Amino acid sequence: MSDAPAPVGILEPWEVFRQEKDGDPMRHGGSVMAPDATLALHYAREMYSRRQESVHLWVVRRADIHDLADPDLLQPPLDRSFKKPGGYVMREKLAAARQLSGEAKPRAKAK
Amino acid sequence: MTLDGVEPLAMDFGGGSSLDGRERALALLLLSMADDEFVIGFSDSEWTGIGPILEEDVAISSLAQDELGHAQALYGLFVDLVADGRDVDAVAYDRPPEGSFHARLLDHPRGDWAQTIARRWIYETADAARLAALAETSHAPLRELVAKLRREERYHLLHMDAWLERLAEGGEGPRGRLVAALELLGPDAGTVLAPLPGETALLRHGILAEPWSAIEARWRAETSTKLIGLGLEALPATRDPETARTAHSDAFRALHEEFTLVRRSEAGATW
Repeated sequence: MSDAPAPVGILEPWEVFRQEKDGDPMRHGGSVMAPDATLALHYAREMYSRRQESVHLWVVRRADIHDLADPDLLQPPLDRSFKKPGGYVMREKLAAARQLSGEAKPRAKAK
Repeated sequence: MTLDGVEPLAMDFGGGSSLDGRERALALLLLSMADDEFVIGFSDSEWTGIGPILEEDVAISSLAQDELGHAQALYGLFVDLVADGRDVDAVAYDRPPEGSFHARLLDHPRGDWAQTIARRWIYETADAARLAALAETSHAPLRELVAKLRREERYHLLHMDAWLERLAEGGEGPRGRLVAALELLGPDAGTVLAPLPGETALLRHGILAEPWSAIEARWRAETSTKLIGLGLEALPATRDPETARTAHSDAFRALHEEFTLVRRSEAGATW
């Protein structure tokens, strides 16, 4: 990955992001080969919107994307479930507490 | 422009035609535009499968397809106006090559990639000037169609500008091919905007906003600015404007032979 611009006329891959309708996120659609940003956009238009399937397109030189795919950093081997937004599983602790206090489990609220 | 007997072949008006002067002038205008779009569309479709790179193969094929769509719509307006019993396919395919009314610029074959780009860049710029002069045309169906065509043609022009610039600035080889193509096509460049028969009627009835000479002058100013900015020469004056849309080339006859081949193989068949 280099910061130097590609030589004129040399094809390189460009990643295409597309928005399907107003309000949707930009999603990766695929890639095109092109020598520069202008032609990359023209080709993205042909490949990803010629049948009006996009309302907005981005192209990004693949070389400008910074990449991270290291499993030690992304998939650590130890249990990290406490970091997940679901939090701890409380069901068993609650049941034990209710038994101790003799309180019945509350009924589901009527709608 | 003289018609040299093309009008009967192109129009097939016959003796009993009920078209008045305004309608005949309008019909020839519609036919000239439809034939231009049809011929360049068919000719550029020859790149399908052999484009310089896969992406451009798709792009040029898609442009060519757009033009065939435009031709179909324009033939549709012609058919509605002339109402002589022919349908769109009959007008597009059943005329002899000498009855085609496209500009001589499009008599040149697609040639190499530089020639295709030069031909299409010249055509797109001239077509844009023509469509601009028709934006407020008094013929309502044409006005509605022109508004749609101009939205699609914007991209065609952007794409051709991009290619013209890249060939002009792409080093000796590409630039040399582009210069050769512009020299070959230059004298026929202005044929797209050469005055049509019935110009007076087109102007009097508000079909065309201004004379062809004024449209051509504006087109020449715009193309000159672009070409000179790239260190290229402005396009030369039109050679033989009298026969701008008649006396077609052998290259066009070969193209005509090809695009009518399937249609001729079984006359009257339903496809």
